[in-house]
Amino acid sequence: MSSDVVVELDGVRKCFGPRVIFDDVSLSVHRSEVVAVIGPSGAGKSTLIRCINQLNTFEKGVIRVLGHEVYGTEEGRPPLRRDDLRRLRTEIGMVFQTFNLFPHLSVMKNVMLAPQRVKGRSEAEAAAQAQELLEMIGLSHRKDAYPRQLSGGEQQRVAICRALAMEPEVMLFDEPTSMLDPELVGEVLAAIRRLAVDGMTMILVTHEMMFAKEIADTVVVVADGGIAEMGPAKEVLSTPKTERARSFLERVLLHTGGDTGPQAAASEGGFDAASGGFDDPTLSWSREVDEKGLR
Amino acid sequence: MSAITLYTGAMLQGAVITLELTAGATVVSLIAGAAGAVGRLYGPRTLKAFIFGYVETIRGLPAILQLFILYFGLTQFGIDVPAYWAAFIWLCLYGTGYAIEIFRAGLQGIPEGQHEATAALGLTRFEAMRRVIIPQAWVAMLPALTNFVVLELKNTTLVYFIGVQDIMFHARLGVSNSGQPLAIYGIAALIYIVLNGTISRVGGILEKRAAIAS
Repeated sequence: MSSDVVVELDGVRKCFGPRVIFDDVSLSVHRSEVVAVIGPSGAGKSTLIRCINQLNTFEKGVIRVLGHEVYGTEEGRPPLRRDDLRRLRTEIGMVFQTFNLFPHLSVMKNVMLAPQRVKGRSEAEAAAQAQELLEMIGLSHRKDAYPRQLSGGEQQRVAICRALAMEPEVMLFDEPTSMLDPELVGEVLAAIRRLAVDGMTMILVTHEMMFAKEIADTVVVVADGGIAEMGPAKEVLSTPKTERARSFLERVLLHTGGDTGPQAAASEGGFDAASGGFDDPTLSWSREVDEKGLR
Repeated sequence: MSAITLYTGAMLQGAVITLELTAGATVVSLIAGAAGAVGRLYGPRTLKAFIFGYVETIRGLPAILQLFILYFGLTQFGIDVPAYWAAFIWLCLYGTGYAIEIFRAGLQGIPEGQHEATAALGLTRFEAMRRVIIPQAWVAMLPALTNFVVLELKNTTLVYFIGVQDIMFHARLGVSNSGQPLAIYGIAALIYIVLNGTISRVGGILEKRAAIAS
């Protein structure tokens, strides 16, 4: 494992009971790399990233995160000790589809909790750090609010701060914008983009193809029980080589292009740049955000 | 009239016993109930089974039967527990059985995502319970807990059967000596209403405070 590999999956198989969700998944994520995981619903995208921080166990193969190694439950190795599991998880930040903020704690306390209780920081240190993170994400004016008083987009941005407060080596995003109203998606994506620019290593499960194309270095298409295709984002999204990746992207594109009239028809032929495809400026997420001045 | 004054005084003395038993048993039951619920949900299999059996036994047996087994049954083995302590121990055992179920429902009501968020942040199970899960469950459980304390207080009336001198004991005594059941039971009722009304009131205030804080 080369020194700048942060996360490595090697031959990972995940089953729910007798049903194999995916098998033989291998993947390396390097420092500062942004990996977008896309694919049809139910293909196991979320399950895949949840295996990395062991919110889901897996049966076969091994996952390495920096110095930590987690083996599949059927590899005949002793299970990870509880403290080792916690150490592994402190290296990994996670942002959930449903935010999962702590509703009984203020925004500040949500961000401060883990640094205080896991890293043993003093209240003052944790507060200073939380303040800084909330300022970065543009929410310091909401620091005394409770989660239920925030919009979904604001909640998700706080959740990002909460994960960042542990200073993780890698961030996992599990469909971070799927539960948001369309007008709130932009602010969350802007926050994620900012992390990418700052060099955070990230694995992002998403349905936002435009965004994946814009910020991801690598795109992984998970379909039919495994990685259907993997490669540089622009290549995979514009000119997928495998039939499975292609048929998935075609469906997504037709759906996304549905509102835009002629261009959607033009894109039916394929994914090459000439036909519009993902380069269609009217679909560009980043442009939309620029207009709102969120960038 | 003097008989009524006399027995009202006695019943008020009995109220001290009633309150002692209720307060003591409530504190013990809530602590043991919280621990029992955590064990029931997250403990090893044998512990889960034991707690399940315990709760079913407490719920399944009539209260008075439990009290009699504890008080009279144990004397067969030469264990002679004073009536007051037998009453207290029974109230604790009984209350714990019900408190476990209240805490279990409260803990199970917390969405899985909350547990996942604490795990992903690297919190220990204990810290997660203490800082995240229990504080939220507490708010949801408050109405049930208020109800629990009220029921626990009413259960204390059974202890007069083994001779503990609570409100009910003095009321019975007063009625048989004075022959004025309506007046004396009426006063006993009034005392219970005042006590339980106070408990409900405190519960209501706690609920309001918890609602503001969350």
